Amino acid sequence: MTAFIAITRVTIKQTLRLRRAIGLLLLSGSSAFTYLMAVIGSRGNFDFSNDNAFQAFAGITIGTFMNIVIPVVTLIIATSVLGDERRDNTMSFLVLRPIGRFNIALAKIFAAFVESFVVSGIGALALGLTVAIRIDDFSYVVPLLVGTAVATAAYSAVFVPLGYLLKRATLIGLSYVFIWENGIGGAVPAVAGISPWRIGLSATSGLAPERFLNELPTFATGSITAGAGGAVLKALVLTAASAALIALILRRRDLAN
Amino acid sequence: MTTTTGPAFASAPTVEVDDVSKWFGQKVAVSGISCSFGPGLTGLLGPNGAGKTTLLRMLTGLILPSQGEVLVKGQGPRTNVDRYREIGFVPEESALYGSLTGEEYVAYAARLSGIANPEQAARQAIETVALSDAKDRTVGGYSKGMRQRAKVAAALVHEPEILVLDEPLNGTDPVQRAHLINLFQELAGNGCTVIVSSHVLQEVERMTERVIAVVDGKLAAAGDISAIRRAMSDIPYRVAIDCDQPRRLGAALLDNETINSVSVETNRIHVETSDLAGLGKVIAGLARDIDTRLSRFSPEDESLESVFRYLVGRR
Repeated sequence: MTAFIAITRVTIKQTLRLRRAIGLLLLSGSSAFTYLMAVIGSRGNFDFSNDNAFQAFAGITIGTFMNIVIPVVTLIIATSVLGDERRDNTMSFLVLRPIGRFNIALAKIFAAFVESFVVSGIGALALGLTVAIRIDDFSYVVPLLVGTAVATAAYSAVFVPLGYLLKRATLIGLSYVFIWENGIGGAVPAVAGISPWRIGLSATSGLAPERFLNELPTFATGSITAGAGGAVLKALVLTAASAALIALILRRRDLAN
Repeated sequence: MTTTTGPAFASAPTVEVDDVSKWFGQKVAVSGISCSFGPGLTGLLGPNGAGKTTLLRMLTGLILPSQGEVLVKGQGPRTNVDRYREIGFVPEESALYGSLTGEEYVAYAARLSGIANPEQAARQAIETVALSDAKDRTVGGYSKGMRQRAKVAAALVHEPEILVLDEPLNGTDPVQRAHLINLFQELAGNGCTVIVSSHVLQEVERMTERVIAVVDGKLAAAGDISAIRRAMSDIPYRVAIDCDQPRRLGAALLDNETINSVSVETNRIHVETSDLAGLGKVIAGLARDIDTRLSRFSPEDESLESVFRYLVGRR
């Protein structure tokens, strides 16, 4: 357990650089900012009733936060947790230790999750609170945070091995998000079923009042089944599979050139 | 193991290398090396690109042999991760976490190695490499020499039985170098298997007599430095002789059939011979015959540098 915590702490310290953190926090807060601008801009111009305000929330949650902000934030952080070890030649420091390879992998995924969730969670909180104040209903804040956590966990599981295996992991990751998940995933239910942001959205929908699911723009999401338990389970299975894959790579492949 | 005797093999091996080869695509980095390492200090010598780093990485399990086998205390290094309690590794490249202080870096190594009191162990290791003054600075701001010492401290913190060091003296100043060499010798004296690679021949010469020389990915020679030199009987010895009549002595030496060549300077002659002992026996008589006084008789190529030069030349 000491090694697990140590790897997590050092990984977070190494990867959360100030400039990157500021950039990611700005990106994370962009959804709340967009919503706020919509609220301010609507004053006196058109009817921005509570219903419209709620629809805007659901739209922005899908349109920017869940399927752009969370994946991009997690992509940048998660691909660096093992990718930086390879780039900085510190793999030997990490792997020539009496620690199980699965534990190393799990600690790395956990570090990516914690760091990404802190950044995305702040954005989720800002968006949730802005909406809550506007529609005078705070019942969506916690579900949005839970959905963010689940989506972040699932994305961490996908992007950590990608960062180790590929030199152009960010580019490949963006292609995965925008072409595979958002493009093909919208039309193919099997792809949508294991799409991390949709898994997060299932968790949010499962915990939020039913109105949230009804207002989701289904042309963008495809079919979403509400259910926090199933979403958490999917994220856990993805994490375990990813850790097993990384452990296998650490056992079988050369760890230096 | 195919063969376990000869100068390439330690009498009580802790690390065994059996016919190991490694290739990366079309490039052969290491080719059919068999040797072993035991308690004490062994120098792994070779020019840049000779395959030393690849061999050391295979010893630690960092990379896998394409062919052959590496055993650390009878097991493959990757067979059981607990084996890494017994191995310390200093890589050639930087391998530092720039945001950590020196103490945090070494304590991190201690934690990963399962040491009970990592902070205390880190402080001790840092003191051992004489880095205490800089322990609170981030390693990202360290000089090359300080980085090397920090890596050595991280490799030592769990008191491994086998220490593998890839060019550990790179970037160190003479004082630091002397300190580290003493440390490696002390560890070797205490029963630790210390394997040090270097392309700087004087460094290895200062550290140890036992050398394994790798050239072009192959084992070029093994044993103590002078034995390696003697084993290469087909290569002539060079001897410098200072005297007051170098031309006359040179001419007299050319009559001796063991002398291959003679070159003359103002007060010195350089002699190439395939029989150093024979030359030693006849030189005094020749000097007496021509009535010249010898002020110096010394082999020029007993240093590792010349051995190394020969080895490279034999490829």
